Amino acid sequence: MDMTEQLEQTANKLEERVRPQLKAATQRLAVLNKQVSSYIRTNPGKCLLGAIAAGYVIGRVARRR
Amino acid sequence: MNTTEGHSDPYAGQSCTDNSKRLPLTAGQRLDRVCSTARVAWADGNRTVKDFNHALDISGRLDRNPYSVVSMAVGLGYVLGGGIFSPLTARVVGLSLQLGLRLAAVPFIQRELLGIAQAACQRDSDDLDKNPNSEG
Repeated sequence: MDMTEQLEQTANKLEERVRPQLKAATQRLAVLNKQVSSYIRTNPGKCLLGAIAAGYVIGRVARRR
Repeated sequence: MNTTEGHSDPYAGQSCTDNSKRLPLTAGQRLDRVCSTARVAWADGNRTVKDFNHALDISGRLDRNPYSVVSMAVGLGYVLGGGIFSPLTARVVGLSLQLGLRLAAVPFIQRELLGIAQAACQRDSDDLDKNPNSEG
């Protein structure tokens, strides 16, 4: 068995091991995205005011430095 | 648009110190006047906010792109917080410009290099065609 085949096998094993984790992470991110989007849609005022406040704080901190 | 619709001031045109024609206002009347002015101002403010909301279509935008609206709100807060003329903004803008210029320049440089290489190859082949004995 030459070097290329070994490398190919290692890459395949790695892919088999990583693929389900990547799939699970993608699904989790999709769920999180849906939750955040629906929260923003149901509480627009709270989210916008919070975002403005966060931006204000970041702006103040950035100005000081 | 009649802004005072439904909130008419009963003491309109009557000054507190105008005692030439009428008697000065009593404390209750003054309070009433202040209240009616505040009511008119509240109604005006409410209507302005509604008009502004309608013009910007914030709720529609929020339904379509919630993240972009929240990002814009963060940006607005950043500007209100005075961060626009800060070193952080300068650094971020500088890095973005640098990156953008580099990304825009890559295809241009690639094309130029390819052109130069092709011209060099063409010149070499032309030289070989003209002087086949000068090889080496």
